[in-house]
Amino acid sequence: MHPSNSELNEYVEGSLSPIERQTIQQHVEACAACRSLVVDLQELRRVAATLEAREPPPAVWSRIEAAVQREPSSLARPRLPEPSRPTFARQPPAVDASDENRSPNETYRPYTLWWLSAAAAVLLAAVLIVRTGYFWPGRAAPSTAADETPTAQSIEAELALAEQHYQKAISGLEQIATAEKGALDPGTAATLQKNLSVVDQAISESRAALRAQPDSEPAQQSLLDTFKAKVSLLQDTVALINELRNGNEAGTAQILSDLKKGK
Amino acid sequence: MTSSGQPRGSTAPSKSGTVSDAELAARCQAGDAEAFADLYRRHAGRLFALACRLAGSADVAEDLLQEIFLQVHRKLGSFKGDAAIGTWLHRLAINCCLDFVRSRRAKERKVTQTLDDASSFVPTAPRETLIARIDLERAIARLPDGYREAFVLHDVEGFDHKEVARLMGIAEGTSKSQVFKARLKLRAMLAE
Repeated sequence: MHPSNSELNEYVEGSLSPIERQTIQQHVEACAACRSLVVDLQELRRVAATLEAREPPPAVWSRIEAAVQREPSSLARPRLPEPSRPTFARQPPAVDASDENRSPNETYRPYTLWWLSAAAAVLLAAVLIVRTGYFWPGRAAPSTAADETPTAQSIEAELALAEQHYQKAISGLEQIATAEKGALDPGTAATLQKNLSVVDQAISESRAALRAQPDSEPAQQSLLDTFKAKVSLLQDTVALINELRNGNEAGTAQILSDLKKGK
Repeated sequence: MTSSGQPRGSTAPSKSGTVSDAELAARCQAGDAEAFADLYRRHAGRLFALACRLAGSADVAEDLLQEIFLQVHRKLGSFKGDAAIGTWLHRLAINCCLDFVRSRRAKERKVTQTLDDASSFVPTAPRETLIARIDLERAIARLPDGYREAFVLHDVEGFDHKEVARLMGIAEGTSKSQVFKARLKLRAMLAE
């Protein structure tokens, strides 16, 4: 009697218990039909695992590129403004036919959301610098042997670069939060200002600690953590403004609750 | 591959050269359109092949690839870097393709048979030649929906049955039976 489909299937996949496997193995060795099936199925699996990528026709990219240009929140938007260019203006996004029926608020919103995404990206870049570089003593070295031992100068440079990225995100978000402060009620604005003051104070203290002990890993981490906290707070502020504009009471309440808890 | 849950697959050459995927993702998120094109160059081949196999048609796969990269464009802002961008793209592509296949199946009102475990197979004549990849690709395209997705996800992409079941919204046992049925059908087709 032949093994069941289920048993043969599991035999081919190697998921049988040793005893079950041995039983099927004995049958397969004795039964030409089952042996043929097993060999074919194993060969199928082997070839299937080696199937290769297939280049799409060039026209596909052209279509994607054109479609992306029509997207309301396009990656082809201007890059993040440099910190040295305080020219962040509420330029409306490119308007196409699909924008015609939007209210002014809706027209503004994608740009604000784009800024939130951009800030997140800058934050990611800062995190990558710290995680993938040789920022911390003892971290995995990058590709070249010359880089294996981080110097005090290299650590300082990495920290400065990470700080620059955080400051870039902070700068852009602060401009939005300041420009749109009028959307917040006085009580909420006061709460946010209080939280920001606390974070700014923590940044000052972390800077002071790092100046006193430039090689201290906890001091370095503390400064980056406080930058991260400020970016997060500003992101929440901009998100809150968006929720208020959209009239999303649940979203507004959730963000306010988190802000009051100091999350 | 699959012990880590990472799909197998190769990375196509890219103009971006030595730029890492993480760096490329960060540049895309920052609005760098050239980086987005590089992301496409780097991953389109693998995702197009995936779409061809899951949809069973290169024409449909072209549309799917466009939809995949539009979704990538829309969702890149939410990519947090918790996983490699290639893994994130692969998952997004699989979901996009499976959504399409499910929708098509619903329209066509096709019911996929489940494996009758009690039935015994009918051995076909042993083949004398090794399987050519191109023949296998053609045979995969002829598989019924359901069998094809399970086979592609398990035997080509390397997901385990638990993950295939989760992705397809079926029971793990159904994944096993559909993959096995698919193999039997492929074997028969390749013997024709």
